[in-house]
Amino acid sequence: MTIDLTVNGVRHSVDAAPETPLLWVIRDHLGLTGTKFSCGIAQCGACTLHIDDRPVRSCSIPVSAAAGKAVTTIEGLSADGTHPVQLAWIEFDVPQCGYCQSGQIMSAVALLKRHPNPTDADIDAEMTNACRCSTYHRIRKAVRLAASKMAGRTL
Amino acid sequence: MIDKNPAELGLSPNLSRRDFLSTAAATGALVVGFWLPQRAAAQIINPPGAAWAVDPAVDEINAWVVVAPDETVTIRIAQTELGQGVWTSNAMMVCEELQCDWSKVRPQYASANRDGREMAPEWTLEVMGKGATDPAGGGEPQFGKRGRTGIEGIPNSLYRRMRTNAASSVKDGRYYLQLAGAEARERLLLAAAKVWDVPVEEVRSSNGIITHVPTGRTTTYGQVASLAARTPHPNPHGIRIKPPSQWTLMGTEQRNLDVPFKVTGKTIYGIDVRLPGMKWAAVKTCPVYGGKVKRYDFEQIRGEPGVISAVEFPIPDPALIRERTYSGGVAVIAEHWYQAKTALDKMPIEWDVPAKNAAFDTANMQAALTAAIEKPGKVHVDLGDFDRGFARAAKIVEATYATPYLPRARMEPGNATVLVTDDRVDIWIGDQSPQETRYSASQITGIPESNVYLHMCHLGGGFGRNGNGPQAEQAIYIANQNRGTPIHLLWTREEDFISSAYRAMSVARLRAALDADGWPIALEVRTAMDEKAPGPTASFDKASRYFVPNYRFSTHPVAFHVPVGTRRGVGQPAHEFYRESFIDELAHAAGKDPYLYRRELISRTNLPYKADMIKALDMAAEMSGWGKPLPQGMAQAIALEERGAETNGNATISAQVLTVSISKQGALRLERVDVAHEEGFGLVNPLSVKKQLEGQVTWFYNDTMHQECNIKEGRIAENNFDTFLLSRINEDPPEINIAFFKTGHWLNGMGHDRATSIQSCIADAVFQITGKRYRDLPLKNHDLTWS
Repeated sequence: MTIDLTVNGVRHSVDAAPETPLLWVIRDHLGLTGTKFSCGIAQCGACTLHIDDRPVRSCSIPVSAAAGKAVTTIEGLSADGTHPVQLAWIEFDVPQCGYCQSGQIMSAVALLKRHPNPTDADIDAEMTNACRCSTYHRIRKAVRLAASKMAGRTL
Repeated sequence: MIDKNPAELGLSPNLSRRDFLSTAAATGALVVGFWLPQRAAAQIINPPGAAWAVDPAVDEINAWVVVAPDETVTIRIAQTELGQGVWTSNAMMVCEELQCDWSKVRPQYASANRDGREMAPEWTLEVMGKGATDPAGGGEPQFGKRGRTGIEGIPNSLYRRMRTNAASSVKDGRYYLQLAGAEARERLLLAAAKVWDVPVEEVRSSNGIITHVPTGRTTTYGQVASLAARTPHPNPHGIRIKPPSQWTLMGTEQRNLDVPFKVTGKTIYGIDVRLPGMKWAAVKTCPVYGGKVKRYDFEQIRGEPGVISAVEFPIPDPALIRERTYSGGVAVIAEHWYQAKTALDKMPIEWDVPAKNAAFDTANMQAALTAAIEKPGKVHVDLGDFDRGFARAAKIVEATYATPYLPRARMEPGNATVLVTDDRVDIWIGDQSPQETRYSASQITGIPESNVYLHMCHLGGGFGRNGNGPQAEQAIYIANQNRGTPIHLLWTREEDFISSAYRAMSVARLRAALDADGWPIALEVRTAMDEKAPGPTASFDKASRYFVPNYRFSTHPVAFHVPVGTRRGVGQPAHEFYRESFIDELAHAAGKDPYLYRRELISRTNLPYKADMIKALDMAAEMSGWGKPLPQGMAQAIALEERGAETNGNATISAQVLTVSISKQGALRLERVDVAHEEGFGLVNPLSVKKQLEGQVTWFYNDTMHQECNIKEGRIAENNFDTFLLSRINEDPPEINIAFFKTGHWLNGMGHDRATSIQSCIADAVFQITGKRYRDLPLKNHDLTWS
């Protein structure tokens, strides 16, 4: 069936079974491969994107649930890689293999929307994405730096 | 259906062999170009963020260096970027000598196809200098065994060892990468001298700009590159590489060149490859290793949306994958992967399960290992008079330790895209062993290696060469049955657990005789694990690292069915857990401080780098404030890590102190990690080393606390991240302090076996706080409460 989706501000009509996970529509029908598949059971967060600004595990959400809503992926975060979270990630050289980082960044952006000046407990509670290279140490520093950048402060 | 093809999505299909684009994104550019398959049915797409080899638009200076008229310098990378920073550190080694502008450097994978057809220049074969202890030399490369044919590859092929393993990209590659940069620089200078008709001695270069010193005239690398490509070096054997004292780029902290792509989702991993006409394959293999398909009923799913066909595939030939026996299986091919996977889940499949393998479970395997330990084993080291040592013991300490099967569980599930035509194979893959995959493709399709093209992608985690399992072999087999159609095989997470090589489950028994002062006078180490496990003698070979006059080490192999391989650190992590835990137990039995106990036992040895080992212990102790009183529920533990300390060649030595807290309810937390780490004569990219160390702290924390794979009815029981647990940011230690110290040898490597002693340190801290000594991992299986 045909499903209407708005992804990164662009409207698409997609012909897919309604129960198809949003992840696979984003990756295979729309060709936006920045959002990753890893566990398929909403555990690891590699597939994190935003629906109406809220982070979701797109591997376990049917595409039908996103119909008519605004979906944002890593590709839609900024036109040129200059979102403050992306810049903070570059500054601390966060990624190693990088595979989970789209999801980490989308989680961080959502965290900073809810908590513009997050405590360690906020970061622990909301940054639940797994990283097998264990870049957590730098993720925490980068989240704090991004918060400062977004508030116009210097760290 | 409005699915767009890649061209409509802004990707550039290739038009001609020499077509060349250079995109200068704000984040930095990659060379994108293209490579038209001779008779391939599909065009190859090179989106920005793809890193595979392409033919350059201009002639190369040498196999590693291409300088374009716009001053962009393409540096070929022969190992695979999987998070360890090789994309940057390898380029730094070339750039150091080339003296080009670092901001203009664009790494690109070296062509594994070309590696199969060309030999390394003769002047790069001789390692200059006097080995591991000569700062001006090429170090002590350990290329390992290379056969003329087969999985080991061709000796002295163009890009030498392309495997990404054993922390060897710097250890093996440094001297010839520096040489390649130096040769290119000298030829660029010769070309400039020719243009100006001046002696080359009057010409210098810096940052890609060439100056004629007497007149001050300048030109650039880009302007003379074409002439340099046609100017041979008159005496390549005379080229010298810079010792660390002259480094200007190497040794500085450089951010990884691929990070801008990784924070924007643009990096092309194997899973992201899209080709015109490509179909997707989902697979299921027999969950009991060595099994295969008995029958399946494709008719039941033929009408499912998008489904095209099913292909049964055999057990991949163990000879192609280091004698590991996986399983046979069946693939469903469909327009989209999720369609293939959904249909496959509905397809009835009956397995032909080998009864012997299905009889294995964790309990009976554990029992077999424990039984093997009791019997005589293969003795590797027997120093002194072991029995007499025990006869004189004032006290005997004995402990039995165990570690489980552990997979790599990288974040990117196994995948490969393969196009087989009548005379050519193209493979898009993230792969730690492209030379082996090239051979596999040739063996499976009957097409010569010279016609096999690997388009290398970054890997979403590696953690063990060829532990990547038979992703390529399965995909090649399936694509060979569908010649002319690009097939993208992708495993589910569950399938990735089945088709992974595991670190072997093992048991160790250590027994020591102590004298009246608590010093060991005899030590026996027995280890038992699968007979095919790699690295069975690591950390115990040749000599006990801690002094003991009578020492015996034996292995007690057992035959199991789980494919075992080179997971991060290979044999070393388990062995360092056993060794360091036992030293803690001996220190406790002797009533001595575990730091000073270690220090004394190292100082009594004849180990060539014992001064470095003592330095590491002293530094870690000092950094951590060792010995200061700690609040109740908190403890510090110390350990030594080494690789190669028993030889006087390459070695890597470090020590660490872990500060741990445990609540009365049993919640354990790493509070602080202090690491004293040697840098040998020099680290190529210290930032990358720090990142590796930070990552390995958590890696081995996971091994200690959470991770295990059990065997039930011959199958891997934990097969996704709901049961195989990965720590999150809330478990990351708040403080990781890393300090480096210089030593007088080249490092053995940095990539994979550091921070192993997190394991023994946590276990010893648990003992100090709770009074309970646990000797088997992971600790999630144990009660950590105390009162």
